[in-house]
Amino acid sequence: MSEAIALTENIEQIDLTEPKTETIKLYSDDDSDVDSENENDDMRDIVCPICKTSRYLSPDMKFLVNPECYHKICESCVDRIFTLGPTKCPYENCNKILRKLKFKRQIFDNIEIEKEIDVRNKVYKIMNKFLEDFETREDYDKFLEDREDVIFELSNLDSNNETQLEEVEKKLMKYEQMNKRLIQENNQKMKSQEMKQSDMESVQQTLQKERLALLKKMEEQNIEDNQSYKQKIIAELSKGTDKNKIIANVKMEIKLKKSSQRRKLEELNKVLKSNSYTHNHFNKMQDANEEFADVPFTPFNGDRELHKKYKVLEDYDFYYDPFISNLSKVPKYIANGFNEKNIYDKLLNEAFLGFGVFVEEEKKQAN
Amino acid sequence: MSDLYVKEKKLGEGTFAIVYLGKRKETDKQAKSVGYVAIKEIKLDLMKQSDSGDNMGIDISAIREIKYLQELKTHDNIIKLHDVYSDIKTNSINLILEYLPMDLDKLIKKKTIIFNSMDIKLIVLQILRGVNHLHRLSIIHRDLKPANLLIGENGLIKIADFGLARTYDDGGINSHSNLTNNVVTRWYKSPELLLGSKNYDFKIDVWSLGLIIIELLIRVPYLPGKDDIDQLNLIFKVLGTPAEKDWPQVKALPHYNTNLYMYPKPNRQEWRKRFIAISDNFLDLLMSMLEMCPGERWNIVTCLESEYIKEFPRPSDPSELVRLMHE
Repeated sequence: MSEAIALTENIEQIDLTEPKTETIKLYSDDDSDVDSENENDDMRDIVCPICKTSRYLSPDMKFLVNPECYHKICESCVDRIFTLGPTKCPYENCNKILRKLKFKRQIFDNIEIEKEIDVRNKVYKIMNKFLEDFETREDYDKFLEDREDVIFELSNLDSNNETQLEEVEKKLMKYEQMNKRLIQENNQKMKSQEMKQSDMESVQQTLQKERLALLKKMEEQNIEDNQSYKQKIIAELSKGTDKNKIIANVKMEIKLKKSSQRRKLEELNKVLKSNSYTHNHFNKMQDANEEFADVPFTPFNGDRELHKKYKVLEDYDFYYDPFISNLSKVPKYIANGFNEKNIYDKLLNEAFLGFGVFVEEEKKQAN
Repeated sequence: MSDLYVKEKKLGEGTFAIVYLGKRKETDKQAKSVGYVAIKEIKLDLMKQSDSGDNMGIDISAIREIKYLQELKTHDNIIKLHDVYSDIKTNSINLILEYLPMDLDKLIKKKTIIFNSMDIKLIVLQILRGVNHLHRLSIIHRDLKPANLLIGENGLIKIADFGLARTYDDGGINSHSNLTNNVVTRWYKSPELLLGSKNYDFKIDVWSLGLIIIELLIRVPYLPGKDDIDQLNLIFKVLGTPAEKDWPQVKALPHYNTNLYMYPKPNRQEWRKRFIAISDNFLDLLMSMLEMCPGERWNIVTCLESEYIKEFPRPSDPSELVRLMHE
C-alpha cells in the first residue's frame, strides 16, 4: 500500500517538473543524462533523482543517504516520503525498507568509503578487544586480522551473495553474544579515555587563551605606559630636576615593569608545555636520542665566534664620525633601517676579521 | 687544464653560460675520488656583442661568481668551486663546480613528497646557516630563491648562483646610491627594493628566505606577482600597507606613493589563521622575517638564535632528505 503511495507521488512529481525542463531550454539536455551526472557527482549541476530538483534552482538542497542502501535522496524528498513511517526506498529495484531516523549527511564523496566507515564503526563497537585482553601478541594480531576480514566482507558483499552476507552477520552476532560483558567493559574504557583526551584539550585551550590575553594586555600596557612616561618626564622637567636623573629613573621603572610581565608569560609558557601530553612525550623521546649523540645540537653548529675580539660600546656617540652620524639623519637611510650601531659593529668586525689568520702559513699548507 | 675534465651531458643553459655534467679524467692520479662535477662554461663570444658592437669584456656576473665562490670555499651549505680554467678552443671560462642533482624548487614542486616538521626544520636551518656565512663576510646574495638552493646526494643544501652577489663594502657607507634595485627574482623581492631603494642591506636576503620558508610549507609561491607593481600591491594586500608609524621615513623611498590604498596590517591571530599547523615559535620567526620595515626585520643571526631553532623537535638527519629525494 505504502509503496503505491510513494510511486504515485513520484509520478506526480515528475509530471510537475517535466514541462519546466521543456520550457527552460537550459535544462532540456540535462534531463537525459541525469543518471550519469549523479554517478559522477558533477559540481556543475546536481539533480535529485527522485524529485528532479536541481542544485542550480535551489542552492540549499542537501542530499541524505541511508546506511541500508546508500541511495542519495534530497532532504525534501526524505521529509515527504518517510515522515509517515518506514517505507521502501524510492529507487527502482531497491526493496530496502528505510526509516527517516537513520538518514544522515554523506561525509565522504565516494560512497564506497562512506559505507566502509559506517561498517567499521559498527564492527569496532562489537569487536573491541584491547591488547591487554590477549595472552600473546600473535593472538591480538589474529584478532585484528579477523576484524578486518569481517569489515571487508560486510562492506564489499552486495545483495547478490546474500547467503554469504548472512553468514558473516551471524558470525558477528555469535561473537557479540559470547563476549557481551567484555564488550561493555571495553566500550566504557574507550569512553573514559576519550573524556580524558577532551579534558586535556580544553585545559590547554584555556591556557592558550590566557597567554594570548596576557600578550595583548602587555601590548596595550606598553602603549599606555609610553604615553604616561612622556607626561611624567615633561612634568618633572618643568619642576626643574636634573635631566639625566629623570631619564635614569624612568628607564629603571620601565625595566622593572617589563621584567615582571615577562616572568608571568614565561611561567604560563612553561605550564603550557608541561601540560600538553603529546609534546611531553615527544620531548622525552628526543631527549633520549640526544644523550647518545656525540655533539650537542646548536643553531650555528659550533661555527660562530662567541667571544669577539672587540666590543661595540653601548654609548656609540663615543665614536666620533660626523659622516656616519649625518647619514643616520638622512630619510632614505632611515627608511632602509640604517643603524649607526650596526655600522660600527660591521666596521670593527672587518677590522678584526684577519686576526689570527696567517696567510703565509696557509699558503705553505696548501702547497 | 682544459684536458683534465670531460664534458658528458648538457644540463642547462643561461644567457652567457652553459652547464655541463662532467668528469675528471681517470688519467690524473690524485683525483679519482672527485666523481661527477658540473662544468659551467661561460662563453666570452656572446658577451662581446653589446648594442654598439664594442668589446664589453667579461660580464660582471661571471667575475662576481668566481670572486665570491673562491672566497667561500669552506662552508658546508655553499656550493664548492673546485677549479677555474679558460679554454682557447671554445673561447670560454670554465668553472668546475660541485655536481648537485637536485634543487629546492624541484623538491617543493614534487607533490608526492611529504615533509614533516623535522624535515622542514632541517631545510630551514641549513639555508639559514649558509646565508649567515655570507652575511658575516659582508656578502649580500641578492638572488635567493628555491631554484638557487641546490641539494647534494648527501642531503646537504647548498647556496648557488652568485652572479648577483656583492659586498656591502665599508659597512655600506661608501656605496651610497651605488646599489641597484634591479636584483632578486620578482617573487622574492623585498618591499624596500620594490620601492626603489638604493641603500638596502642584508635584510633583503632575510625577506627572500622568509618567503622561501613559507613556500616550503604551502608548496606554492606565496606572493606570485605578475609584474613589479603587482608584486608590491600583493605584498601590501597580504602584509599590510606600511605607514609612517611602523616604517619610519618610508615616504623617502623613490617609488612610495602617497595615494596607496591602506591595507590593514595582519595581527598575530590573522597570521595564525593562515598557518595553522606550525608552532608558535615558528610563527614568530616567519612574522619577524617578513617584517615590512627593514630596520625591524630580524637579521640572520637573530633568526638562527630564535626559539624555533632551539625548540623540539630537532631537525632530522640529512640522510632523511636523501630518502625523500629518491622517493
